[in-house]
Amino acid sequence: MIKEVLEDEFRQSSKEGLVLADFYSTTCGPCKMLAFVLADVDKECGDKVTIMKLDFDKNRALAEEYGITGYPTLILLKDGEEIKRTTGLQQKPAIIKMIEEA
Amino acid sequence: MTERISYSFCESLRAQQAAAESSLREEFTQGDYTLEKPLIKLNPYLINPLSALVAFRTPEETAVTVTIFGKNNKGTIVHTFPREKEHILPILGLYGGYDNQVELRLYGGRAQRLTIHTEPLSERVPELLKLHVEPEYTSEDLIFVTPSLSALATAFDRFGEVRWHLTVPVIFEMTRLKNRNFLIGTERVMQMPYYMSGLYEMTMMGKIVKEYSIPGGYHHDQWEMEDGNILVLTEGESYETVEDVIVLLSRETGEILKTWDLKDCLVPGEGPSGGYTPKDWFHNNALWYDSHTNSITLSGRHVDAIINIDYDTGRLNWILGDPETWPEDKQKYFFQIKGDGDFDWPYEQHGCLVTPNGGIMCFDNGHYRSKIREKFRLNRDSFSRGVLYRIDRETMTIEQLWQYGKERGEEFFSSYIGNVEWYGEDHYLVHSGGIQYYGEHASEKPAALLQGDPNVRAESITVEVLQGKVIFEMKIEGNFYRAKKMSLYHEGENLPLGEGILAGRMGVTPEFDTLIPMEPCGELLPYRYEARLTEEEDRFVFKAIFEGGQMVMLMLENETQEHGYFISTSKNKFNALCCGTFIEKDPRNITLNVNKAGLKGTFDVRVIVDDKKYETGIKITC
Repeated sequence: MIKEVLEDEFRQSSKEGLVLADFYSTTCGPCKMLAFVLADVDKECGDKVTIMKLDFDKNRALAEEYGITGYPTLILLKDGEEIKRTTGLQQKPAIIKMIEEA
Repeated sequence: MTERISYSFCESLRAQQAAAESSLREEFTQGDYTLEKPLIKLNPYLINPLSALVAFRTPEETAVTVTIFGKNNKGTIVHTFPREKEHILPILGLYGGYDNQVELRLYGGRAQRLTIHTEPLSERVPELLKLHVEPEYTSEDLIFVTPSLSALATAFDRFGEVRWHLTVPVIFEMTRLKNRNFLIGTERVMQMPYYMSGLYEMTMMGKIVKEYSIPGGYHHDQWEMEDGNILVLTEGESYETVEDVIVLLSRETGEILKTWDLKDCLVPGEGPSGGYTPKDWFHNNALWYDSHTNSITLSGRHVDAIINIDYDTGRLNWILGDPETWPEDKQKYFFQIKGDGDFDWPYEQHGCLVTPNGGIMCFDNGHYRSKIREKFRLNRDSFSRGVLYRIDRETMTIEQLWQYGKERGEEFFSSYIGNVEWYGEDHYLVHSGGIQYYGEHASEKPAALLQGDPNVRAESITVEVLQGKVIFEMKIEGNFYRAKKMSLYHEGENLPLGEGILAGRMGVTPEFDTLIPMEPCGELLPYRYEARLTEEEDRFVFKAIFEGGQMVMLMLENETQEHGYFISTSKNKFNALCCGTFIEKDPRNITLNVNKAGLKGTFDVRVIVDDKKYETGIKITC
């Protein structure tokens, strides 16, 4: 499942299970491309992971809390704990591998 | 639709040179050229404007001595060619923008003086800023420098005069071969900022004798083995990581004979330097084969260490570097400092070499000068130097025997590039090629990303040190990857004739796994993007201008196939500057290189920009 979220919902929904947070910017080409990649990842991974998209401009405090220095940044959380992070555009196999190894 | 974006087909440099040489030989065959009235062709191979070819016949076989007179009798170059009746002579070392005086003298006989006029030097030839030469320095060899920013490969004589340069931006190491040609990286960028298509074997005239295409591309360094085969730094063909693979190329065919992947002996992410990235985890910038130990010594900028691996097995022998932050299982490979003499570890070093008695030298850039983030030094507070270590593999101890540069502080500091040369005991060259100032101090950001900023100053200092004394020092404008001394003429074949040979093969350009589901809109890619496509024999190059933040993907499509190549429009696309020569001043300029290898068929070239898939009006057949 992919959903666009704001800080409150993210805090609430990321406490349990596997969550892939995508910190993106609307003014970033690789972020736009990543949206298509994540749609493909979602098709393949189904219920294994919830993909939460966080617009950097609308979630600045959260971005700062997570130490986001560039976008897109993907953070994989397991029961609320960060277990893996990547920066820059990633291809589908790399993201799926990251999820499967979690 | 008949419209299309700008399109051209570009012949290879080899083919262009072959056509020029063929035309010249035809002209020579048809004319009656004598010593008194020779055929003279300036820049016969199109890329060395300080060269000429002179051709004439003599009734009898005779040797010919060519003299290129130096300005004010300084820097005169003399070379004698063997006996021939047909004399096709390379003239090297001309001055730019000058009426060069050249004498042709038959052995024991007549002479003819020629005036060869050259055009002024290109603006991309570096300016000499300072030259200091002691009387002890008498070398007739030129100092060759290869570029890291926008300048061109250039050679200066000991009087500070430019005597050689090429007009195409060939880069990285110039390796003189046993046949006295040299190897250098092609000007054909494959993937910014890391690698080029391969290597040229070239004569000093600029003639390409052989072009080696390498599937994983070429970067930084190469080495000619005793049998003529070539060790080359390259990438794995998956390109998931970069600058961590070495291959042995057949000199004859360009075929890959052996491969070493550094991921087989090291773990990416262990012992990272300040410049480490997961993709560019090792950043191999130098290569040295040692026949005494049958081993390869390599310089990993992004692990702050020089490593040595066994040639046959690829097994790790030792690591020379600061052992801090490396895991326990690697500590046995490190050396312990012996004694309490002056000692510093190298950090983000370049250009390692093994001296004849087993010493290890490098250019220690000193970038960050620590492996601990909290202890990182600013560039303005650091130093770079040439350094020589003695290692003892039995006791796993290390001593610092010599260094030059620490005492000069930030004035000699290069955050990247540089090299050293060993000429004999206590006789070395140290090249600090990446000096960058921002205002009054060493720049904390790379100059290649600040081009056009008036506060940025890029310089390069090359010194030769004999028994502790600097006998030669040259400061030039711009950054230069390496410096080395070579002669223009040699006793081998200075001008082999015939068409240059293409060897090896190109790799398959990585595609983007995810394609964007979108139908063509039927419109031509708007002119405002200034898009142009240049096709070559083995690839095509797409260039355009896009605004940061646009989503761009180039598509090759036909009825049965779709291939997508994502194009980044990010402002800061590069984490390294290996091919900094090719970084555009305007970050909106994008370049995509797609190899024809791995593609089969005829494809429409289309470009997705955000929510539209445009036509280019161009078909490519692979």
